[in-house]
Order: sequence, then structure tokens, then C-alpha cells
Amino acid sequence: MVQPIDLETVKQVAKLAKLELDDARMDEASSQLGRILEYVNQLESVECPDGIEPFYGVVESKDAIREDAVAPSLPRNEVFKNSPDSDGEYYRVPKVLDRES
Amino acid sequence: MPNEFASYSAVELCRLIESGNASSLDVVSSFLGEIESSNDDVNAMISVSENCLETAKAIDNKRSRGQSIGPLCGIPIAVKDGICTKGLRTTAGSKMLETFVPPYNATSVDRLELAGGIVLGKSNLDEFAMGGSTERSYFKPTLNPWSKDHVPGGSSGGSAACVAGTMAPLAIGSDTGGSIRQPASFCGITGLKPTYGRVSRYGLIAFASSLDQIGPMAWTAEDCALLLSAVAGYDPRDSTSANVATENYLDRIEDPISGLKLGVCTEHFGDGLDSEVEKAIREAIDVFADLGADVKTVSLPHSASAVATYYIVAPCEASSNLARYDGVRYTTRAVADSLEQMYSKTRAECFGTEVQNRIMLGTYALSSGYYDAYYLKASKVRRLIKNDFDAAFEEVDLIVGPTTPTPAFELGSNLSDPISMYLADIFTVSANLAGIPAISIPCGFSKSGLPIGLQLQGRPFAESTLLSAGHQFQKQTDFHQQRPSS
Repeated sequence: MVQPIDLETVKQVAKLAKLELDDARMDEASSQLGRILEYVNQLESVECPDGIEPFYGVVESKDAIREDAVAPSLPRNEVFKNSPDSDGEYYRVPKVLDRES
Repeated sequence: MPNEFASYSAVELCRLIESGNASSLDVVSSFLGEIESSNDDVNAMISVSENCLETAKAIDNKRSRGQSIGPLCGIPIAVKDGICTKGLRTTAGSKMLETFVPPYNATSVDRLELAGGIVLGKSNLDEFAMGGSTERSYFKPTLNPWSKDHVPGGSSGGSAACVAGTMAPLAIGSDTGGSIRQPASFCGITGLKPTYGRVSRYGLIAFASSLDQIGPMAWTAEDCALLLSAVAGYDPRDSTSANVATENYLDRIEDPISGLKLGVCTEHFGDGLDSEVEKAIREAIDVFADLGADVKTVSLPHSASAVATYYIVAPCEASSNLARYDGVRYTTRAVADSLEQMYSKTRAECFGTEVQNRIMLGTYALSSGYYDAYYLKASKVRRLIKNDFDAAFEEVDLIVGPTTPTPAFELGSNLSDPISMYLADIFTVSANLAGIPAISIPCGFSKSGLPIGLQLQGRPFAESTLLSAGHQFQKQTDFHQQRPSS
């Protein structure tokens, strides 16, 4: 398996997970993740018989299909009440694209 | 004024209300009074409903007009704050949802209200249900009503402390790796994790979707049967809910234990098991034997790998589920110049460190190059754990053992080392990985007065067997009738 995690890998993972952590927190996370990975690495020694299927949960490979029927959904104004910023019709977010680009 | 209904079970409270010897308003007022006098001390509740007295009056009016008031008879219920309640703030114990007011009810909440239950308030939890002590709540940690130096367990620690502290006669919790059973054990109450899919997860704020399950918490197994009957059942809004007929779990509560095959799992009695816990469990097994259970030994050979398996599978699912908290739809947003930075700053500022660690762990274990070694391997071991149960249930009807290796630990004692906190789940995580039902029942007290819990695990959809076995045990014992002194 893998060695406990180095700081550069933690920084990369934090970036993928969209977490802008400061240096102190990054160091702390690195040591805590290392401790957890060290523990879970014990699975390496568990022998799995050839061909054993992974188990992803009790409900396996079941498609839930329903009629595509029109039904009431939540009122938009109720849903937007929880949003930090909206114009009543859309969520508003910081600028995504620069005008020049 | 002390809560005059503190010593009653929920079933007894229903009888009082149905017979006109108490009103729903009397009962709700008494529990509200206990919250007012105790909650500042124990921090079991994050929010209290403003409508519960009005609802109680409406139920009393219905009864006085001779109308049905439902099986829950206007009994107040604490609902874990990771379960959505329409118009009542639902925080999941996180700064991320500090002001979130859901525009809809979870199906379980709709169902308990339809059955005449009253949402009394929202109980504290570890942030996004990630923790085993309720110390990871963004709000204050909940204290154990039996000893305020000790944790109530978690993540449904607020729900357990509400019942143990006589602030609610019934509570709803959720259990991803033991989050109903472990706090029930630490707080001296009964808690049931139903079979995966037995209760709809619609409106449960998702942590690990293949493991999460909602269930009842109360003093007695009979009370758990009452509440489970109200909330169980198929829900088209949760495609993983089981389309299996539900039942009134009180109908079979008096089923005898005699003839049941009870398996004592050898792996549950090894190193690390507290001697007082072991003694209480052995004595409880003798009670079952005296009631006519056929006690045998069974083995779950892969149980030593369960915690490691869980701490890969659950963070992987969490890293995906918690991607939705992006500063766009839910309540809080960090100030930033770009969209990308807004996401990253919001999530850094509003998630606690344990949640961040688990998101990163899951992101790492699912990332290219590590997926096979971690997620795939863990999912294969998960199959082995499930196969162990399938084989054991060929031999026995129920598996009995301790819910936790020790009684409640002291506040702060497991916060620095994640693994020591995780190992409190060592006996509970397997049921979630395999999707089977399991119950924790009070079975003793340590010399220092801390409760001890016994776990029974059963076949899929064998909730009736778990509940009736618990009920028969409680007819022979009085651990569930003890109340904390302060």
C-alpha cells in the first residue's frame, strides 16, 4: 500500500477537496491523516479470495425508475431564503470568467 | 420544578394521555420545563420548537372531540439536528448550516407527526454526524447526564442526553457507524439502528449514504418499537428505502426468548474490553439463558478489520456528499474575488477540523492511483464482513456482545488521537457495513455509576426479534428504570 502521507500530497488533496487551509492547519492535517492511514493500512494484510466482489451496500445495482410526471416541487422563494446571495431567480456567485478572456 | 413525568416510559405516557389522566399539553410542558432548567448545563438541544405547545393543545382538542390522536398521542420527541424539520433550524452541528431553515420535512419527521408525535426540538450532534462524543459539534459539547465530566457518546449524543436527562421521552437519531447505539450505551438508554433501508433517509443530511440509517432512542425497547412503527416504511423519495412490508413492532413485543439461538461472538471478548463491561455482559447473557435462549459461540473472523474498513468507506462517501457545501446554496459564504476561492475559503472557514480531515481522507482514498489500494480493497473486505454475518446467522438468530469496549470516556480524553476515538466504534461499525439491524440495551453500571450497554445484532428486517428480546430482558432487569440523580 502506501506510506503515511507527505505534506505536498496533503496540499494537493486539500486543493482537490476545495479547502484553503493555512500552513499550521495543513501541518496538523498531515499528521492526523498520517495517523489514520497508518491504521487503515492494516487492510493490506487482509487476504481476499480471488474473484471476490466488492460490496458497496445493501442496495446493489438497482435502478429506481419513475414516471416522468409533473409534480409540485419546493417554492423557489422558500429555497432561496437559505442562499447567501440570489436575485430571486438565480443564485449569484463571484465572477467566473474575466471580461477580457 | 422537576419533570413529573421523568420516570414514565413513552408507552406509559401514551396510556396516561389516552385515558385522560394527563394531557399532551401537561406532558410537553413538563419536558419543556426540564429543558429550560437543564439544557444550559448539558447542551443536549440546539434549538427548541416554538410550536410544540400549540400542537399539544390541538392534539388535546382532537382527543376531547373523540377523534383519533394517533399512536404517538401527542408525546414530545427530540429530533437529531441532522434531520430536516420544515421551518425549524437544522444545523447538522456545523457552522456551515448555522442558520439553515429547511423548506421541507424529512420523511421520518412527517411520519412521526402524522402518528401524533410532536417535535420538541433539535438535539446536538458531532458536526455532520462525524464523531463519537458530540464534542465535535460547532455548538457546545453535550455532557453526559450521568456524569458531567464524561461524554454522552456520539454522534447522536444530544438525542441520548435528551432522553437520559429526561428532557424528552423519545428521540430520533441516526447511525452511520454506531451513532445511535454508542450514545445509547453511554447514556443508559435503548437505541435501535434498523436494517439499512427500513427508515427513509429523505431529509437526513447525508454523511455516508450506504451506511446512514435513522432510528429510535428511548428508555425501553417497547418505546423504540412504538417510535419505529411510526417512522418505518418504504418511501418513493428515497430510492434506497426498502420496499418490504412494515409492521406494528408492538404486536410482537411479547414474543418469548425461549428457543431463540443467541450467538456470543468470540471476537468481542478480547483485549481492550473493560473488565466491568465484560462482567455486565456475561451476566446479561445469563439472563437470556435463564429466559430459555440457546446460547452458543459464533465467530465473525473479519471483525478486527471493521474499523479500518469503515474509516475508508465512510470518508470516501462523505467527501462526495459534502461537496454540496459550496457557499452557493446554503446560508454561509466567505468573501472572495473568484468563484474557486469562494468555494475553498467557505469550506475552510465553515467546516470543523474533523470534517475537513475526513473529506481529505476520502478525496485521497478515491484519487487516481490510490483507489484500488483503499476504496476497492475496503469494499472487498466489506464483503467478507457481510459474509461473516451471513454465515453466523445460519447458526444463530441473534449475536450478543458489548455495544462499546468501555463505558463513557472523559470529556477531552480522545480528542487528540483520532484512532482512540474511532475504536469506541469497534463493535458497532460492522452492522452498518453489512446493513443489518442492531440494538443497544442498558445492562449494568460501572462502579463509578456509568451505564453499560449490551448490543444485539440480527438478520436483515429482524427488528421485531431485536425489540422483543430487548423487552423480555427489560422485564427481568431494572437498568432502564434508573435515572441520573442530578
